[in-house]
Amino acid sequence: MSQYLELFQSQRALIDGNSIPFLNQHRDAAAQALAQLGLPTQKEERYRYTDVVGAFAPNYGLNLRQAHTAANQPDAAVLRQAEALYGTLASVQADAITALNTMLVQDITVLCIPAGEQKENPIRVSQLLRSTAPLMQNRRLLIVAEPGSRARILLNDKADEGQDFLTTQVTEVFVSEGADVEFYDIEQTHARCHRFHQFYADVQQGGRLTHTVFTLTGGLSRNTTQVRLSGKDAEANLYGCAVIDATQHCDNNTLIDHAVAGCRSNELYKYVVDQQAVGAFAGRVLVRPGADQTDSRETNANLVCTTQARMFTQPMLEIYADDVKCSHGSTVGQLNDEALFYMRQRGISQADARLLLKQAFASEVINALPFEALRGRLQVLVDQRFRGELNHCRTCNLCGTQNT
Amino acid sequence: MLEIKNLHATVGGKEILKGIDLTVRPGEVHALMGQNGAGKSTLSNVLVGHPAYTVTEGSVTYNGKDLLAMSPEERANEGLFLSFQQPVEIPGVPMNYFMRAAYNAKRKHLGLEPISSGDFVKLMREKRKIVELDSKLTSRSVNEGFSGGEKKRNEIFQMAILEPSFCILDETDSGLDVDALRIVAEGFNQLRKPDTSAIVITHYQRLLDYIKPDVVHVLINGRIVRTGGPELALEIENQGFDWIKNEE
Ligand SMILES: Nc1ncnc2c1ncn2[C@@H]1O[C@H](COP(=O)(O)OP(=O)(O)OP(=O)(O)O)[C@@H](O)[C@H]1O
Ligand SMILES: [Mg+2]
Repeated sequence: MSQYLELFQSQRALIDGNSIPFLNQHRDAAAQALAQLGLPTQKEERYRYTDVVGAFAPNYGLNLRQAHTAANQPDAAVLRQAEALYGTLASVQADAITALNTMLVQDITVLCIPAGEQKENPIRVSQLLRSTAPLMQNRRLLIVAEPGSRARILLNDKADEGQDFLTTQVTEVFVSEGADVEFYDIEQTHARCHRFHQFYADVQQGGRLTHTVFTLTGGLSRNTTQVRLSGKDAEANLYGCAVIDATQHCDNNTLIDHAVAGCRSNELYKYVVDQQAVGAFAGRVLVRPGADQTDSRETNANLVCTTQARMFTQPMLEIYADDVKCSHGSTVGQLNDEALFYMRQRGISQADARLLLKQAFASEVINALPFEALRGRLQVLVDQRFRGELNHCRTCNLCGTQNT
Repeated sequence: MLEIKNLHATVGGKEILKGIDLTVRPGEVHALMGQNGAGKSTLSNVLVGHPAYTVTEGSVTYNGKDLLAMSPEERANEGLFLSFQQPVEIPGVPMNYFMRAAYNAKRKHLGLEPISSGDFVKLMREKRKIVELDSKLTSRSVNEGFSGGEKKRNEIFQMAILEPSFCILDETDSGLDVDALRIVAEGFNQLRKPDTSAIVITHYQRLLDYIKPDVVHVLINGRIVRTGGPELALEIENQGFDWIKNEE
């Protein structure tokens, strides 16, 4: 960790000079918080399943002189809004990785959906890692959905083969009254990528957030997803699907914070853990005092395909209110032998039978998604993934970029 | 076409089959009867290669080949079909997707190209008629939420698609109402080619009224203790198994 603080202290001018100006105002507080917190060890409850210190230990290169070209001329009002909201959900005091990101980040993508606007087509944010040397990248995304607006955001993470990458990403999403945001995060990186995504959202009265994370290919993936329901009748839907094998490690850590009465949350995460992969899911649902009439459901189901594969699952329900309807459940199972045999008796090979069962398992998450056009596409990606044919860029049209 | 010799098999370390000898020639239908727990389903499971069952002695020759050396899917693709006593539910795997995978596996085995989706839809429609299977069922997951009778009907529907040359029907009649029994049994007869053979496991004569057996066997405690013509099934229907046991 000290290498990051030292880098920050010695290169402060360079970092500030190549940044969107308002990001600079937050660096000192972030550095202070990071120095105080230190990177989390596995003794810390929230990070017990992932070796953060190990992931940040190597000396990745950091390009502090990146050229900054604005995607479009930033609107002054949007910038002012972004400046005011930046860091209000992603607290540097509460999380060391968020602090590290805030200390070093030089670039931000801001999406503002004006009041009442109904965007049918998804907004695509494609992130591609490409480098000739090991590289660390810090990313920042800020989304404001103004009252009554509606948007779908599709984030696609990819990386060129052959290099070690470390990324931190902090996303803040502000869902105003009656707004509806669907956020889809699809990771298709590779075994030498270490990805940390800290996602924070606040949902106001009558608003709805749907968060989906698909871990298809990657090395180490740690997704922290925290959603606060802070206005009556707000709703959060969290979906996750991890298809991991080889030495992949995928850790999803979620918090749904029912801060007021009369909100709904629904969470469904499914993992297919093959070979020596390690999966972890910790889903905390917090129902604060006074958050009566909370309706919350949480399900984590996992398929562990080999004896070396491991899955840790930890649903946590904390209720400090009355008259709530909450349920949570988690299962860890193997492929159903009788179903496998039934299919083989019909002539289907053992390998294909296993494939069909895995696809069936994952399809429950896909079928739950409200974005119909994406469902078919995800089904294809997941099927390719199970067949081992998913080469992260050649086979996918999600981001629209052609990579050769 | 199927020759079982001195077959012994165990499940969970317990010997269930204690020396079965049985020969079924092309086109023949053999009925297999016997009390609960006698080992009838065990025999079917052993024949189709269920991994929970271990053959400890004996041999099975199928069309001149060593059946026991083949994988379950090879046996299936060589024309062996089991209508399960208790068909399993497979949530999330759509019936039509499953059947297409099975059908194409067989085509691949025969060295043929996969069927086009258009042709497959036609095939499904045509075969559904034979067993009067509701089209709603084929768009659902395999057996999921099917009634007991619907599951049995679905077994024969799958048989209709795959056109096996050797069928084992394990209590396909149980769970079927009177009309369904007639439809399914007549469907089976319609699907049979002159050289299709079958082992029909049942407790009741009513199925054998439709599917007429050439030979009837009685299995007791892991052995075939009596073999006769169709009249043997009628005797059992009237008198149960005790008289056979007493003669032992
Ligand atoms: N997988 C298994 N594990 C343990 N025991 C088994 C298993 N399968 C069968 N058995 C036992 O083997 C014996 C024979 O069972 P089987 O199912 O072959 O009988 P059956 O003749 O088909 O009876 P039924 O008429 O009731 O269907 C029974 O005692 C049963 O409990
Ligand atoms: Mg039986």
